[in-house]
Amino acid sequence: MSGGRNDVTARRGASRRLPLGNWERALLVLLVLLTLGLVAAVPGFYPGFGDFLALSENFLPFGLVALGLTTVILTGGIDLSVGTTASLAAIVMAELWTGLHLSIWIAALLGVASGALLGLVNGLIITRLRTEPLIATLATSFIYGSIATALAGDNPPSGFPDSFNRLGTGAIGGILPYQIVLFGVLAAFFSALISRSAFGRKVVMIGYNTEAARYAGIRVDRIVTLSYVISGTTAALAGIVLAAYYSAVRPDMGSILLLSTITTVVLGGVSIFGGDGSIAGVVIAVLLLGMLRQGMLIAGFSDMVTTMVTGAILLGAIALKNLFAGRGTGLATLLRRLRIRPAATT
Amino acid sequence: MPGTVAQAGSASSGTYRASDIVKSYGSVPVLKGLSVSLHPGRIHTTMGENGAGKSTLFKVMAGLVQPNGGTLHLDDAPLLLSSPHEAHLHGIYLVPQEPALMPELTVAETMFVGQLPTTGRWRRIDWSAMRARAQEALHALGLDIDVDAQSRRLSIAQQQQVECAKALLRGCRVILFDEPTSPLTTHEVDRLFSTMRRLRGEGYTLAFISHRMDEVLDISDDISVLRDGALVDSVERPEFDRTRLLSQMVGREMRTIPRRSWSSATTEAVLTVDGLAHAPSFAEVGFTLHRGEILGLAGLVGAGRTEIAETIFGLRRCDAGSVVLDGAPITGLPTHEIIRKGLVYAPEDRARHGAVLPMTIAQNVSAGLIERVRRRWGLMDRDDEDRIGAEAVSQYRVRCAGTDQTLRELSGGNQQKVVFGKWMGLSPAVAILDEPTRGVDVGAKDEIYELIEARARAGTAILVISSEMEELVRLCDRILSIYEGRIVAELHGDGITPERLGRSYLSHAGLGAAA
Repeated sequence: MSGGRNDVTARRGASRRLPLGNWERALLVLLVLLTLGLVAAVPGFYPGFGDFLALSENFLPFGLVALGLTTVILTGGIDLSVGTTASLAAIVMAELWTGLHLSIWIAALLGVASGALLGLVNGLIITRLRTEPLIATLATSFIYGSIATALAGDNPPSGFPDSFNRLGTGAIGGILPYQIVLFGVLAAFFSALISRSAFGRKVVMIGYNTEAARYAGIRVDRIVTLSYVISGTTAALAGIVLAAYYSAVRPDMGSILLLSTITTVVLGGVSIFGGDGSIAGVVIAVLLLGMLRQGMLIAGFSDMVTTMVTGAILLGAIALKNLFAGRGTGLATLLRRLRIRPAATT
Repeated sequence: MPGTVAQAGSASSGTYRASDIVKSYGSVPVLKGLSVSLHPGRIHTTMGENGAGKSTLFKVMAGLVQPNGGTLHLDDAPLLLSSPHEAHLHGIYLVPQEPALMPELTVAETMFVGQLPTTGRWRRIDWSAMRARAQEALHALGLDIDVDAQSRRLSIAQQQQVECAKALLRGCRVILFDEPTSPLTTHEVDRLFSTMRRLRGEGYTLAFISHRMDEVLDISDDISVLRDGALVDSVERPEFDRTRLLSQMVGREMRTIPRRSWSSATTEAVLTVDGLAHAPSFAEVGFTLHRGEILGLAGLVGAGRTEIAETIFGLRRCDAGSVVLDGAPITGLPTHEIIRKGLVYAPEDRARHGAVLPMTIAQNVSAGLIERVRRRWGLMDRDDEDRIGAEAVSQYRVRCAGTDQTLRELSGGNQQKVVFGKWMGLSPAVAILDEPTRGVDVGAKDEIYELIEARARAGTAILVISSEMEELVRLCDRILSIYEGRIVAELHGDGITPERLGRSYLSHAGLGAAA
């Protein structure tokens, strides 16, 4: 251990200024290569700047869910109810709009609020009843889904005002989609929340070591509950955006969100055990998976093949990450030694 | 493995010698070249304080731990044990203090794990033979335990006895007991001893660990006293001498431990604990802590000292009694409020409770009170956090490359200093330090003692929990001895000597076993 005793500060080099670790940087390189490759190889992938940006409207709702879900996963929990929360929130909005003749925007706000409430229910079940997050949110996902189906009835409302639909498909000046603006703002907010706020610090501490957090006087239950409220809120927001995108709601519209979003968060480098991970990684993973899927679909692959490739990428990414992180087998440790030593001497 | 069983079982001898055993964990020596010799038909007791190396010695002898040096001989044949399984093959069995039987299996099943008897061409498990043989082994020990009962329904005493029967089933002739009596009631100890005497009568070689003086004198044929990883005394019946054993255990050299010539203790009460209870760990605990005072809590592991600290700190429910800090009651308040009122607790287990090892030094230091870091627009100012971290690093002399180094990369001593920095940076009125030098190497210990003393001088009232007498004698103005959740003695000033301290709870432990 070298280093001064009395004038120690952070050794914040250039790499420390960028909030990107090795994993995030590798993802970013992959994203750039993939995008360039798709532009070059797939005709119709880049029809023009505006249309290229509009591709993101197909996958950014996943990104919204991922931001909130990341918060939960960082505490070491999981929220399996994000899909049905999104559906239920969208249907609550639609029913308030048709049933009570509320303005669509007021209804949308109330829809988001209902998502927060559903998240609060999850959080309270988990912290008060000491239930495993996996079980608790699996159970509530069924309940929320059934309520959504019941509320929707046979003919769920559709045909929202154009001003609202623009949230899903419109773009500022015909170039910059509203979805990108919304996602960009929220991504910046979450990045600051997780890495710079006291709340985020507590989330990470709980994820790394719940007991140590408790012994440091952190109100673990409160922070954990809040993380589910956040997850419910972003899931509801995604539901609202999807409703605007389709200009319709269906009780099963959120069901595609869950597994893809977990994939994204994990690919983004967030440890499923909690603590480790960054919003930057998740944002890059959202773009990476989204671009890949869009590219493959445009190239004419079926949804089935695309989904299969997504699964393979997830497996490959996690295997790589575990190898380099030294988790798992002895081979991993060996690889890590080979990798770390030269780096440590520089 | 019927062949092995027969072979080991037929051996009439069973003299087991360990010679010049050396073992160290990292740079910390645990066993410094010691030798013991166990003989058939005799019960050999190993005594010593916490950390003397007794358990490590037994683990070496049972193949659980590989020594760095030294040899093992069974009946004069050299022995290399690379696993507990190999030890079993040679007829050596270690009964752990709290046996890890498989909770969902029946008693008979756990006894035959790894060697289920089979029958027929398809090697079906022979349940009836298994039950019969299990029954037989338990009967041989005079034990009345249902072989069909689920293991988790057994008491610790019964689990130990089942382990003992397992040793017999495997044909083992040398049975080592790792401190079996400390979790047992008096009655259960009697049962265990009658089992041990029965085995001794049948010519088995038995060894056990204890620091309850009365039971040791009662059952042993040979006694070895360990201190700091070395053998300091070895006696055979009838030359037992209680006083001599006690002083050997505590150590001659310890009489010359330098005590501080000064004291910063005042008479101003900061923390008053009255009639505190948390069933079943402790009851009727009451004491007063004064500004600038260093008060020690002495006792055996499991005496309830950590539980007392955790209850004061709001981590455990308080069944009865009150805690008053600076004139205001804090009984039953949540931990975060207690910290803000100026009482902090550095737990015993750093990796699990005290620190977040994957996080950086600065983050660990600020974790004590995150709100302490300056914020702008709700965002923590990283430079301010670094400053707080760097302050702790320089004040508590943490050796590190930078405040953004993760705690995992630091030595135990430096980790502990970071934990200190985290709490002491708040200038608390009261600091409870649970085993402050656990896992800390000798050089860093002195540094930590100096840091504690400096903090006391600055006016903090300090409560030190330690299982190392030397540490308490060196640090404390006053010491309370805890035995089984109750305060049994108080020593202060010149009355604090290692001998008196040792006797204050060890003799009590002895009386406890005899009662």
